Amino acid sequence: MKLSLKNIHLPLGRFPLDLDVEMEGEVIAIFGPSGSGKTSALDLIAGLRKPQSAFIQIDGLVLADTRVGQSLPPQQRGIGYVPQDGALFPHLSVLANLTYGSRRANGSSIFSMDHVVDVLEISHLLKSGVRMISGGEKQRVALARALLSQPRLLLLDEPLASLDENLKSKGLDLLQRVRAEFSTPMVYVSHSPEEITAICDFMIVLESGRLVSRGHPRELFTTRNVPVLELK
Amino acid sequence: MENENWQIVYFTLGVSILSTLLILPGGVALAWLLARPRWMGKSLVETLVALPLVIPPVATGLILLKLLGRRGVLGSFIEKTFGVEIVFTWRAVVIAIGVMSFPLLVRTSRVAFEGVNPRLEEIARTLGAGELRIFFTVTLPLAARGIIAGTILAFARALGEFGATIMVAGNIPGKTSTIALSIYQFVQLSQDSAAFKLLGVSVLMAFGAVWISEFVLRKRSSIR
Amino acid sequence: MRDRNLPEGDFNNPAVKSIIRSLAVALALATGLLASSLRAAEVYVCAAASLTDALKEIAVTYDKESGDTLIFNFAASSVLARQIEEGAPADLIVSADEAKLDALEKKGLLLPGTRKSILSNTLVVVVPADSAINIKAARDLAGPDIKKIALGEPSSVPAGIYAKAYLEKLGLWEQLAGKIVPTENVRAALAAVESGNVEAGIVYKTDAMISKKVKVAFEVPESEGPKISYPLAVIKESKAPDAAKKLAAYLDSGPAGAVFEKYGFIMKH
Repeated sequence: MKLSLKNIHLPLGRFPLDLDVEMEGEVIAIFGPSGSGKTSALDLIAGLRKPQSAFIQIDGLVLADTRVGQSLPPQQRGIGYVPQDGALFPHLSVLANLTYGSRRANGSSIFSMDHVVDVLEISHLLKSGVRMISGGEKQRVALARALLSQPRLLLLDEPLASLDENLKSKGLDLLQRVRAEFSTPMVYVSHSPEEITAICDFMIVLESGRLVSRGHPRELFTTRNVPVLELK
Repeated sequence: MENENWQIVYFTLGVSILSTLLILPGGVALAWLLARPRWMGKSLVETLVALPLVIPPVATGLILLKLLGRRGVLGSFIEKTFGVEIVFTWRAVVIAIGVMSFPLLVRTSRVAFEGVNPRLEEIARTLGAGELRIFFTVTLPLAARGIIAGTILAFARALGEFGATIMVAGNIPGKTSTIALSIYQFVQLSQDSAAFKLLGVSVLMAFGAVWISEFVLRKRSSIR
Repeated sequence: MRDRNLPEGDFNNPAVKSIIRSLAVALALATGLLASSLRAAEVYVCAAASLTDALKEIAVTYDKESGDTLIFNFAASSVLARQIEEGAPADLIVSADEAKLDALEKKGLLLPGTRKSILSNTLVVVVPADSAINIKAARDLAGPDIKKIALGEPSSVPAGIYAKAYLEKLGLWEQLAGKIVPTENVRAALAAVESGNVEAGIVYKTDAMISKKVKVAFEVPESEGPKISYPLAVIKESKAPDAAKKLAAYLDSGPAGAVFEKYGFIMKH
């Protein structure tokens, strides 16, 4: 996938998000300390924030171009978003959550319900209410929901952050499986070098809203070009 | 309690239910609008909605009388176009109690809408849902608790309305006589026992309304 | 006691101190306002609504000449009687019908020997000043042009009781009952006619005379109409009975009578 974030200027609280980068990879990482603008970058790609200026393009499809006043509404961008807390609809059952986005595909279902539910190991949760499942299960349901909307791109915001160590490695395996089974390109926000080196093939590093490094994760982490963060 | 007094109770219940139903769609819609961030004229609308809560009810009644009276801007128009009179009829009662209970509905519902996590609406957008679908499938169900509480509060306020009602509808036996107006009248006539009977019914209805609202709210929270 | 021995408590907090200071000022202000309003009270007069304008004019002269200050409470006589029954601090009551004073007398609330009837009045049917409807007699009120008739509440307000008695005597009450809009007092009935929200109203001639927005459709002759009487009495619990008696005597005298007649009241002697 080719993802272009050019000419981006989005005022945040203490600093603006300023990006001008072209990226290429199947799983692109956004790395950086908390508060550096990573989530805002995802929001921008999804169309949930209005930037002052931006040019966003995925594989030839222009999502936004402020120079000509064009911006696809989030409903039409075909992007699946798995935010940090999952953001499942608390008043709907797990099954209702999963099917919420299925209308958008209008007919085309490359990823079938059974397949997704199977890969994400959530078939036993379908009838449950959202309040009754664990944090890790919530993340899996959120990812399944995003997949079932047949997205052309997945955005994942620190998907493994709330899991403890032994569950984290299971989580990584699951993500690998998802990548293998569904081959949907992803943008993966994390502050964990282990996770990123495990899955991602390209990385940009943000600090205070600006790009400070870009390239292949393994190179960037081993040459110590990148500020390696302490355990969180 | 005599027949005419039961008539008064049924009439009061009837106009209160009708007026609450009438203000519900507009009130909820306005509450949703007010829950959204700054838009032009928002503070003016907020102030107007709060007015009946803050100024004396008879003052609101006076404003309504001037507007809806037969020589008033709205009253004369309605009479000419539809041949229908408003002041000193049951319609004036419905309007008066509706206006007085409207701010309570809007305020409580607004708080309910403000309590809905906007992230949920954003995710719904990415899943392809249009604004109308999001309102009915995400926002409204999540705000429903507060909206129901607001509705019951508005209904209870409508049941007890006096000041605006007496201005714009008067206390006409059989036509506009509500429980509150009748209690006042009975006291004036030194018919205290009748007044206390109506008072008792009034208190029972208020209890009933609060109990039902608690029940509904408890039910909803166990679903979640 | 030295300051530095005081423990750091809430009352030493500067913010709390300034709040307490502001509250004290507000309290002093409210008390001052209240006291100054109370100091002026001399004779508290409960009077029928229809006497509003005449009594206010009389008060201007009376306050100057007697040195007393008159405080008025104008309302329907039924409301006034009720308030006095509940212990309102009135000194004198001037009612628009005898029945209200009968009730108070029965309860022992009036000072014996002070009750006296001083005025009379007549009823009129009024319509809005710009009305085109023709009413020449009471039976015209039954016509289709008249949809609403305003009167004082016929079970309690004297003007309404008188009006109902009159209509009953003519056999018209049953017919007209569906059109009646009962009001709090006679002036409210007048206001309803002035606003055009009702087509006609029955009020005292004295009310019609002070209003430019209504016109008299016809006047109920004194011989045909009910006997209207305005009695007054001093309240037994009055804190200023002598001042009240002095006022009662004045209201029955020549100068006051001239003012009443100017407004259209009929003097009793």
